[in-house]
Amino acid sequence: MTTLKSVYNHSPNIVTKKTGSEYVLIPVANNIADMNSVYTMNESGSFIWELIDGKRNVEEIINTLTEEFDIDHDSAEKDVFSFINDMSNYLIINI
Amino acid sequence: MQSTVSYRGSSLGFYYLQKQPEIRMRNYNLNIAGYNIRLESAEDGPELVPSQRFRRNIVHRPDYDVCIRVHHGSLGPGDDAERLFVAPYVVEINGYKITRNDNFWSVYKQNGDLLIITNFPDSPSKKATLKFSLALREWDLYIENAGWETDPMEYPLDGLILYYLTAINADIMIHASGVYYNGRGYLFSGVSGRGKTTMALLWDNIGAQVIHDDRLIIRNAEGMFRMFNTPVYKNDVPRNAPIDRIFLIGHADENSMVPVREASAVSMLVSNCIQHNYSPDMIARFLGSVSMMCSKIPVATLSFKPDRSIIEYILRNE
Repeated sequence: MTTLKSVYNHSPNIVTKKTGSEYVLIPVANNIADMNSVYTMNESGSFIWELIDGKRNVEEIINTLTEEFDIDHDSAEKDVFSFINDMSNYLIINI
Repeated sequence: MQSTVSYRGSSLGFYYLQKQPEIRMRNYNLNIAGYNIRLESAEDGPELVPSQRFRRNIVHRPDYDVCIRVHHGSLGPGDDAERLFVAPYVVEINGYKITRNDNFWSVYKQNGDLLIITNFPDSPSKKATLKFSLALREWDLYIENAGWETDPMEYPLDGLILYYLTAINADIMIHASGVYYNGRGYLFSGVSGRGKTTMALLWDNIGAQVIHDDRLIIRNAEGMFRMFNTPVYKNDVPRNAPIDRIFLIGHADENSMVPVREASAVSMLVSNCIQHNYSPDMIARFLGSVSMMCSKIPVATLSFKPDRSIIEYILRNE
C-alpha cells in the first residue's frame, strides 16, 4: 500500500522518450515492445514521472508539485496518489 | 515472338508485366529504398535468380550497406539461443483461417548474432536461416532444399531483410500510403481497413504520384524525411518523395482534421509502425526516430469521406 513515505522507481521494463514537455512510454514484455500498450504523459504527469527517482518519497513529490503548479496541497496529494496507483497497476513504476 | 504476360492486380489498376527470361547470377546488387544490398553466392552456393519484381532495383555498383552470402545447407539455433519472436503460420482454407503447427518464421538471439529461421509459402520444401549481426555488414543466408538455383529474397525474407535494415539505420517501416502532388508529399497512416488504399486511389485519379498504397519506408537524411516504396509489396518502379504532412486516417461521414502534437502524435504513429524490436536500445532508437519525425512534420488525425472532397479539404487546409 502506498504511503507518504513510499519511494518508487521507474520499471526497468519501460522505454521512454520525452517529446516536448510530454513523455511516451513503451513497455517491454518478453523482449518485445508492446505497441498495444503505449502510454503518454502530459506535462504535469511528466513532471511527477521525473520526480520518481528511487530517492524521493511520495510526500516530497507532493510538496514539489505544489511549489511548481498552482494547486493546493490536498488536491496535489490526491492527484499524486491516484497517478502513482495507476502507474503501479500498469507496472510502469515499482517500489 | 509472342510474349507471355503476367499481371498482379491491385486496387490502383492492373500492372501488366512483360515476362522476362530468368537471369542467373553469382552475385548482384539491389538498391531498395536507398539501401544497397549485395547478394553473393558462396563458393558452394546456388545460382541466384532474382525475382522479376526486383529487376528494376538491380544496380551496378561495388559498394553496399549489407552483403548477404548465400550458402547451400541449413543452420539451426544452438542450445544457448534465445527465441525472441515467432510469427505463426496462418493459412486460409475455404475461407477459414487455420494456424499450422510449424511456425512461419522465428527470430533467435545467439552470441550477439540474430538468426531468422523461415519457411516459404511459395516453396513448401525450402527453408532458410539468415544469420547476421546488426553491427556488421556481412550476413550469411543458408538455404536448404532450394535446388541449384534460388531467389535469395523470396518472401518473407525480402520484408525481413528490409525491416532489419530499417532497424540498423534507425529508419521507420510503417503501414501507410503516400502521395506526391504539386511539390508536396502526404503520408496517410493507418492499420488495415482504415482507408490507405482508398486514399491513394483518390489522389491517383487526379494525377498525383502514388509512392505506395500500403507500406512505406521512411528515412531521415540530414533532418529531411523521405518516404520510399519497395518492390516487396508490389511490382513497381522505385519511388520516393519528401514528407510534408502526416495524417492518421479513418473513414467517416464527413471530412475533419485535428492536429496532434508531441506525445500523442508519437504514440499514435508508433502503433502503425512495423516493428519487432527486441531490446530496449532498439526500441529507444525507433522511438527517437518517430519522435524526431513528429517534431519536424505536422501530424493530424484525418477522418474522411471516400471521395474527391477529401483532397480539396486537405489542400484547402494546407
